[in-house]
Amino acid sequence: MDCGDTTGPIVQVRRRVRASADQIFDLWTKPDLMVRWMSPFPGAVDCKASCDLRPGGAFSFVMSSEQSSREVSGTYVQVDRPRKLVFTWIGPLTNDVNTLVTVELNPHGDETDLVLTHERLPTSAIVEGHTRGWGIILDHLLDAASSDF
Amino acid sequence: MMEIGARNEAARLDAVFAALADPTRRAIIERLSLSAARVTEVAEPFAMSLNAVSKHIRVLEASGVVARRRQGRDHILSINTRSLDEIDGWIERTRRYWEQRLDAMERLLRELEKDGKSGPRDRKHGLR
Repeated sequence: MDCGDTTGPIVQVRRRVRASADQIFDLWTKPDLMVRWMSPFPGAVDCKASCDLRPGGAFSFVMSSEQSSREVSGTYVQVDRPRKLVFTWIGPLTNDVNTLVTVELNPHGDETDLVLTHERLPTSAIVEGHTRGWGIILDHLLDAASSDF
Repeated sequence: MMEIGARNEAARLDAVFAALADPTRRAIIERLSLSAARVTEVAEPFAMSLNAVSKHIRVLEASGVVARRRQGRDHILSINTRSLDEIDGWIERTRRYWEQRLDAMERLLRELEKDGKSGPRDRKHGLR
């Protein structure tokens, strides 16, 4: 998969979290913990998660209420506990188009810097300085990249 | 209906992203973001043939990022800001989504932390 040194149109969110990298890695990869925070729907939504945590293994996250059901699914690309998790992601948020999510966890004392990068596939370089002066898109990228620190 | 709409949007977005994935095309957009311009004006700064630049312009037109209108003998190119707004929308939606998920993740961490502390020694029931 071509996802090495390219920088596509990306969304990046950074945050310093008061927990160890191991704890956070568990939240992302253990089904019984995943169902407790991953659903974007408030209230009575039944969540089911399953994952085969190895490169090439699949995960699925299904949220269902009485009215409807939604599924997010993907395949693990890199599993490097507890520092890095890379997986493809397809679901309503991505208009059912395949995307790539990278979660990096860098320990910082008792805390952990979490950097989440979400990019569309297949794309290659968009941000190389050529986009300077190009307005809103880059502003948002920079904004997203520098927030929450 | 909704499904088809979403799929069209996804296809359009992919075309726009693909169009923007090339440095020459990004430079063309950067030029056009200053003002509309004739094809020859757009091509001028590039060290490549007008023909080669025209190919890039056609990709940008096909993706909907750039529009072309005729003014006498000139072809005037301009940016279609709506297509860029769509990318902007995707970025904004996605970012909001993850910010909210990470908020929820941190709330759960605090809950788990409380659970751990109210272990056998000091048992408290119920989570706020």
